[in-house]
Amino acid sequence: MTTDATVTAPLDGVRVLELTDESADYCGRLLAGLGADVVKAEPPEGSPARTVGPFLDDRPGDDGDRSLAFWADNVGKRSIVVHDDTEIGDLAAAADVLVHTLRPAESVRRGLSFDALSARSPGLIVCAVTPFGQTGPWADYLADDLVLMALGGSMAACGYGPTPDGTYDTPPLAAQGDQAWRTASTYAAIAVLAALAWRGEPDRRAPAHAPTPQRGQFIDVSVHECSASMTEWHLMTYLCSGTPYHRGPHPTLTAADGRQVAALTPDFLGPHVFTRMLEMLEAEGVAGALSDPAFADPGHRARHYGEVWRALKRLAAKHDAETLYRLGQGAGLPWGVIRSPEEVLDDRHLAARGHFVDVGHPDLDRTVTYPGAPFVAHGFPWVMHRPPPRVGEHTAEVRSQWTLPR
Amino acid sequence: MALLVLRFGPSSGRSSRRPPGPAIPDTNVKVHTTVGPVTTEGRGTDAVAPDGEMALTGLRILDFTRLGFGAQATLICGCLGAEVIRVESTRHPDAIRVMPPFVPEPGERGEGFGAATLANATGATSANRGGIFYKYNTGGKKSITVDARHPKGLALLKDLVSVSDVVTESFAAGTFERWGLGYGVLRERKPEIIYVSMCGFGHSGPDLSHVTMGPTAQALTGLTFMVGLPDRPPAGWSFSYLDHVGGYLGAVAILAGLLHRRRTGRGQHLDVSQLEPATALSGALLLDALVNGRPSRRPGFPTGNRRLHPPTAPGGAYRAAGTDQWVVISCRTEAHWGALLTAIGRPSWTADPRFATLAGRVDHADELDTLLETWTSQRDRYEVMDRLQAAGVPAGVVQDAADRLERDPQLAARGHFTALSNAEVGPLPLEGVPFRMSATSPRTGGFLDRGPPCLGEDTDAVLEDLLAMTPDDVGRLREEGVLS
Repeated sequence: MTTDATVTAPLDGVRVLELTDESADYCGRLLAGLGADVVKAEPPEGSPARTVGPFLDDRPGDDGDRSLAFWADNVGKRSIVVHDDTEIGDLAAAADVLVHTLRPAESVRRGLSFDALSARSPGLIVCAVTPFGQTGPWADYLADDLVLMALGGSMAACGYGPTPDGTYDTPPLAAQGDQAWRTASTYAAIAVLAALAWRGEPDRRAPAHAPTPQRGQFIDVSVHECSASMTEWHLMTYLCSGTPYHRGPHPTLTAADGRQVAALTPDFLGPHVFTRMLEMLEAEGVAGALSDPAFADPGHRARHYGEVWRALKRLAAKHDAETLYRLGQGAGLPWGVIRSPEEVLDDRHLAARGHFVDVGHPDLDRTVTYPGAPFVAHGFPWVMHRPPPRVGEHTAEVRSQWTLPR
Repeated sequence: MALLVLRFGPSSGRSSRRPPGPAIPDTNVKVHTTVGPVTTEGRGTDAVAPDGEMALTGLRILDFTRLGFGAQATLICGCLGAEVIRVESTRHPDAIRVMPPFVPEPGERGEGFGAATLANATGATSANRGGIFYKYNTGGKKSITVDARHPKGLALLKDLVSVSDVVTESFAAGTFERWGLGYGVLRERKPEIIYVSMCGFGHSGPDLSHVTMGPTAQALTGLTFMVGLPDRPPAGWSFSYLDHVGGYLGAVAILAGLLHRRRTGRGQHLDVSQLEPATALSGALLLDALVNGRPSRRPGFPTGNRRLHPPTAPGGAYRAAGTDQWVVISCRTEAHWGALLTAIGRPSWTADPRFATLAGRVDHADELDTLLETWTSQRDRYEVMDRLQAAGVPAGVVQDAADRLERDPQLAARGHFTALSNAEVGPLPLEGVPFRMSATSPRTGGFLDRGPPCLGEDTDAVLEDLLAMTPDDVGRLREEGVLS
């Protein structure tokens, strides 16, 4: 244990070299937020992620600086241009962590396998994020986020319900926003943190050539496995019942203004849930049949769930969605108005928690608002003051600061 | 939960493991670990030598989380080697211990989990058969039962705080403090304690009293909106994605708190809500609205399975042979398209000049999808996937839970599922953390290699080992109702 008042963030001084495509850039964003020095190694023409839209003012430009997709996942990082794999090897030897998205064969061919890197730098943690992991019959298969949402199972579970004859006229649906990739990137960050905790800390203030702790290791993240792990009750329901879930609508009320509110009525949390809901519905004058004492019995409610739902629809018809959301919450119900991503910015609660952060983009002479800390840590700040880097913006300073070994 | 009858108590039945239930489907689960010694006579679970150090070996988490969100975080830590001690109550058991779907008795078929059963979660006869509990409580978690409202129970919990590194809880804001276990009290007992609260809206802000479940937070943060076909209401998620994501960030908070403490010697309160972990998940959609003034709430958006960035066509889910069977195909490049043509044998429609360029295929995606589906719909979904993949086209079956367990050769080869049981249930194919580490391999059964705990099964062992109590001490506390 060291006590050092200058250390503020958990990963202050930890060097992360990033050789990722857009499937795993989000990992480095999280590590940068925790204070790591995340350096993106890019070819002279820039990371392929810079070619993914949407673009600033819908103009892709030719300098790689206008991709909003790149901005979203690379805010807080630095960039260095590398011309060959020897340079990457040198950078890796000076780093604590390398996060990459190379397939096994490619990392071997390029001299960037864990064995090769580790022989030179035994303390190096290498985290490979690949669609299917390093092994297995699908290891060389191709996949983007959509394919991984399909194979992982969340897609089969999402979509509109069947038509009255029981057949589906709409496909299963995958969420926008690259959720399988983001889940895997988050797991990658967790694995890196755990590996750092086990390895021990770098000590950059020690005299020259102080050895990094010699306990690096290789982390193998399969996006497919990460995606397959995130469907909550679906696996257990199949194991328990022998029948997989068939996709269908989730409980949603349409308010008087046409907007929707997710409206769960979780009876399983206890009898107070219905009691408080009924009080609210009676105060609103829409309880109807629910005032019948028979409805106090959960079995009766389950058999006559249509009555419960009709009362809720009467309530929804009276109010706009925002009011409906707050009425439900006032009665202790876990209701939430369905917002588009940009509507979340207006949330007073997140604003009060200081969640969104304005980051200066001096090149553009403007600031851009980004989602900030994923939790409120009372003991350290979330680090997010750098805008997403231009290609090679920090090449000289990284070379000098990381003092490349030779 | 007055109907609850405990089948498995801390003082009886420890070795009465039931035979595996036949309702568990015949899966391709690779059983790559032996089941832990939960049925060993006596209380010697700690006597089993772990067969390798793990990343978080030696870290002790006193875990008061419930349901999914909080428990996901400590599951991850348990799989990484931490000792996770769930503090539970026999009178108010974790809802997922006692709600459907239930792990069936041998020879029975269990009930599914849907709206009707949601509304009627009664009739549980055991605190150890709630199916969803088994999703969120691997990692070798232990379970003790202590009545925090009993003065002696509270004192005992404070003593456990003194010997723990991390305290986690997922109650409504203020609850833990009312019990007499707020951060101020924890810090008094152990100045360097890392306290991680996981509560829907967190522990500060004007809407502090709001309650969430996964779908609530998904609605409020834009995630529900992001699943749907154009010009229809959102379809949303049929599961609590944010229980998982929130839990991942809970694990990040625990690990960050740990690394910070290593450097500074200081503990802290980390306040994890179910909202903040979600806002970055919309990626560029948010920036497109903010920077370009193009709101997501606009005609034609969201675009179902179509992806606008990068432009992809054909791209989406296509019907395969069979009832409601689908396969995803995703062609972002000319190389993908060329490979697709080869794989499907260049039927005449593929020569249509409208499809000659990616831009043309994007502009005529509806026609293209219809034509491609004439090919996919004649064929088995796995055959489509394998044939396209062999040619170099990103493609994948839309797999459900049964497919993942029984038909996915990749998950099987990777040892994704681990067969674990406990004294009442099992073995079940369960999940842990979905990554591998070469030196400190995570284990779904945690450092003890055991299944999710029966309610209270570790009470005696934990109190005797960590607080140096004698069996008589523990017996007296049980008689006084402290351990309920």
